[in-house]
Amino acid sequence: VTGGEATWWDTRHVLTGSADNSCRLWDCETGKQLALVKTSSAVRTCGFDFGGNIIMFSTDKQMGYQCFVSFFDLRDPSQIENNEPYMKIPCSDSKITSAVWGPLGEFIIAGHESGELNQFSAKSGEQLSNIKEHTKQINDIQTSRDMTMFITASKDNTAKLFDCTTLEHLKTFRTERPVNSAALSPIFDHVVLGGGQEAMDVTTTSTRIGKFEARFFHLAFEEEFGRVKGHFGPINSVAFHPDGKSYSSGGEDGYVRIHYFDPQYFEFEFEA
Amino acid sequence: MALAAPPALPLPWRRSRERPMQAPAPSPAPPRAQGPAEEQPDGPPPAEPPPQDEKEEGEEEGGEPEAPTGPAEAQQAAAAAEEAAEEAAPQPPEAEPQPGSGRQSPEREEPEPEPEAEPEPEAQPAEEGKEKEQQQQQQQEEEEEGGEEAEAKPEPPAEAEPPAEPGAPQEDKAGEAAPAAPAEPEDELSFSDPEDFVDDISDEELLGDVLKDQPQEADGIDSVIVVDNVPQVGPDRLEKLKNVIHKIFSKFGKIINEFYPEADGKTKGYIFLEYMSPSHAVDAVKNADGYKLDKQHTFRVNLFTDFDKYMTISDEWEIPEKQPFKDLGNLRYWLEDPDCRDQYSVIFESGDRTSIFWNDIKEPVQIEDRARWTETYVRWSPKGTYLATFHQRGIALWGGEKFKQIQRFSHQGVQLIDFSPCERYLVTFSPLMDTPDDPQAIIIWDILTGQKKRGFHCENSAHWPIFKWSHDGKFFARMTSDTLSIYETPSMGLLDKKSLKINGIRDFSWSPGGNIIAFWVPEDKDIPARVTLMQLPARQEIRVRNLFNVVDCKLHWQKNGDYLCVKVDRTPKGTQGVVTNFEIFRMREKQVPVDVVEMKESIIAFAWEPNGSKFAVLHGETPRISVSFYHVKNNGKIELIKTFDKQQANTIFWSPQGQFVVLAGLRSMNGALAFVDTSDCTMMNIAEHYTASDVEWDPTGRYIVTSVSWWSHKVDNAYWLWTFQGRLLQKNNKDRFCQLLWRPRPATLLSEDQIKQIKKDLKKYSKIFEQKDRLSQSKASKELVERRRTMMEEFRKYRKMAQELYMEQRNERLELRGGVDTDELDSNVDDWEEETVEFFINEEIITLAEPE
Repeated sequence: VTGGEATWWDTRHVLTGSADNSCRLWDCETGKQLALVKTSSAVRTCGFDFGGNIIMFSTDKQMGYQCFVSFFDLRDPSQIENNEPYMKIPCSDSKITSAVWGPLGEFIIAGHESGELNQFSAKSGEQLSNIKEHTKQINDIQTSRDMTMFITASKDNTAKLFDCTTLEHLKTFRTERPVNSAALSPIFDHVVLGGGQEAMDVTTTSTRIGKFEARFFHLAFEEEFGRVKGHFGPINSVAFHPDGKSYSSGGEDGYVRIHYFDPQYFEFEFEA
Repeated sequence: MALAAPPALPLPWRRSRERPMQAPAPSPAPPRAQGPAEEQPDGPPPAEPPPQDEKEEGEEEGGEPEAPTGPAEAQQAAAAAEEAAEEAAPQPPEAEPQPGSGRQSPEREEPEPEPEAEPEPEAQPAEEGKEKEQQQQQQQEEEEEGGEEAEAKPEPPAEAEPPAEPGAPQEDKAGEAAPAAPAEPEDELSFSDPEDFVDDISDEELLGDVLKDQPQEADGIDSVIVVDNVPQVGPDRLEKLKNVIHKIFSKFGKIINEFYPEADGKTKGYIFLEYMSPSHAVDAVKNADGYKLDKQHTFRVNLFTDFDKYMTISDEWEIPEKQPFKDLGNLRYWLEDPDCRDQYSVIFESGDRTSIFWNDIKEPVQIEDRARWTETYVRWSPKGTYLATFHQRGIALWGGEKFKQIQRFSHQGVQLIDFSPCERYLVTFSPLMDTPDDPQAIIIWDILTGQKKRGFHCENSAHWPIFKWSHDGKFFARMTSDTLSIYETPSMGLLDKKSLKINGIRDFSWSPGGNIIAFWVPEDKDIPARVTLMQLPARQEIRVRNLFNVVDCKLHWQKNGDYLCVKVDRTPKGTQGVVTNFEIFRMREKQVPVDVVEMKESIIAFAWEPNGSKFAVLHGETPRISVSFYHVKNNGKIELIKTFDKQQANTIFWSPQGQFVVLAGLRSMNGALAFVDTSDCTMMNIAEHYTASDVEWDPTGRYIVTSVSWWSHKVDNAYWLWTFQGRLLQKNNKDRFCQLLWRPRPATLLSEDQIKQIKKDLKKYSKIFEQKDRLSQSKASKELVERRRTMMEEFRKYRKMAQELYMEQRNERLELRGGVDTDELDSNVDDWEEETVEFFINEEIITLAEPE
């Protein structure tokens, strides 16, 4: 599975997208496959809308196939059965590398290989707005818990915070290495960034040069206040625990590291 | 003066025979590298290296820049210039139109055909002093080889013939050695091409290398010399005279024609001789001029062509046109900064951008930022007045408040430069331009006027700078095999018109504190190796030190010239391996006493304290490297002050003011840094700038910058600013940062006493500064807090708006999730089910063997 995965809000179902050219819906408890959608190229990213009734997934530009975002309404089983999405948005310019649902399932926010961000309506497929704040590929998009903001992680060594509805650029977090993933704390104005030198760019395999560190920034001040070392390959994914008391990171080195915050983390405050 | 060999310096000139200096490849030879550059296996291309001796002779008088003011002098100059023509021909006038620059050169380039050979030489060589004569004799010895060599060249017939190919590409070389171009041999019958064959390949393509040596068109008068002060004889003794003349002058080449003008039955006292080739004539002029036949008759020998040339020079001296004064503003404005800040240049974006900053504790303040300001790198002049940028077509100097262009020096493909310490002259090197008859590889320029002062060939030099300047810029010297040539400014001519012959000379170095040259020669059979100190311009040997079993020597001057340390590597008889000694010369004392420090381990680096009597040595083998500090006491005793073991260092960086030193483990040692105060030898701080490639002290010794250059490492390119005590002040990340150079400061204007007074009153001053610092610090932290506060306020405002919207949408959310409230983690805590998971753990006790 190289594509995305997403869970339904009540964790009954899980949706997986894969490079085996399929997107599958599973029952969390039993592990039973509930639905299978075959695609013509690898599935890059997928997700449930807020209500959990509509799924979307994007496919790669690959083997002569274009990049598409497909929308299925699970309430209409025929769509899955016949592999007929109710809507399919083509993205010929620059492929989608990451996408999430906006609040209330009205639109999706897609990040592209070119660094562009697009809002696509989930009803009409219309492009609602477009901005370009990143200079290189957007590797990851994660929303805040209340889905009012989202943070992007880009190959251009930065992560940026945007408003979900207006796509207004709010904050920038700078590092010296490509950022592969960024997550917002559910309880503090904190953000964690994961990344590091791309494995293919590392000639001398020194973890010091690679900077495979999780880095913590203050959301409002854009200032870094902490780093966690440990991975010996680039970090591909970071996520906060929903209670904000721990976070986990998954790296190219094959490890998932779960870190619980020290008491000082909860006491720390910037002088302001 | 770092002893450690610099990193493999890619010699720009080697790479770029065709394409000079592409992007400054990884660590381009920073021209400031004082260490030895890498050996250069393939020297720049002297197409036909002139024989060493001849070349040297050429230089002897080559740089006579005085304008010929009278015919007599004109002649002398002509003769001199002729001699110099091969190696050091002064610029042809068209290239140098300034009147009075005195660079009139013999223009053999445009010989006017003048068939009749009866000119009355008006300019009689009048008063050629005795010095000339002596000098002639001196030369004679060295000359001989050169003469022979020249003779050995095969010469085509002297008759002027129309060139085989009119308009052949050698026009520019007309006047070259060979006078005539024999027509190309006709094709043999059987090899003829069919009549309709069109030859579309130029001869140039086919045999360009051969054509290059093709004899040149000339009209033959180049080979004619005029000899004055020949005894006047009647017909009875003419035959005898001719015999004598023949004997003297056929030494230089075959005489094919001679003419003895007569009047009233007696010869007129001057004669004309024609040689096979102009080079013979040049030789004859060089060697026979001043020949003493007897008491009354000293020959004056000149080229026939020179008479023509110097007769056309007007007797009236033309007043050079007045050049308008160009106000460049205050070129030293940066020294008037109220906070005494220093400037530095930064090259980044892989060389595309160059910026100048004020160094400020808070953050650098940008003064100037230009795209493509330089094509490779930049250099500051020694006193910081100018910033030099490198371009394909030459060097540009910038300065003043707005960094306006002040001067340009056109030198195609220039790669290396060097300023004279006085900032008056600039030396440039290009591998592209050199031609055998017009030295262009190295050019010395006058910075104030922009004029080219002199060109030089570059034969075999492996080290830049090739020319080393004396501390005051009065002299500059270069070493060739067995020869040390010292030139003087402003004439750019050889000092006393003669090079020093030093058999086997291996290296030399000027004292930074006086006009003293130190040089060393290795052992030669039974003669020991020796280090010599020579006072100039007197050429007096003030100290000679003989050394035995020497493998190598390195000369290290203390910055003031108070001490010289010669690092001597020896292989003592009966032992294996190399032993290193430091021979310390105390320059300020009578007879220059020498003391020896024996080192037990191999030496990695050596450096003098710039303004003091201490030196630091890195010694040992990785990973057991130690640093030792020594002190040269007034009584000459050399005392080991302190040794620190287990150092991660390969380079020593003394503060320009002395006392403080930073030991750095650059490159392979990952950028380890140790800050040492040598007054009490305490380790002030140990730090690291990972993968650092460069360390630069600011000119005042207050700050130090460590950097990771894109030229040596492709990631984390940044420069960090530290205090001299090793407190990190700033980390400045710059995209593809390449090079940071502090702007040097000129020497202080304060007298010793004034400095002493300031040091005495330091407390008074430091109070003022401390207060200033406190103020700016509290201001800085206030600013930071203020900035954060506004950022927080803005962010809160945004969050409030977003949350309001969020609350408005609550009902829609509830609807979408079938009435289930998911807004809070514990909104549905009632629905949660407690689940107890039990793990069964087996306890097993294994008793380990009891330890004995």
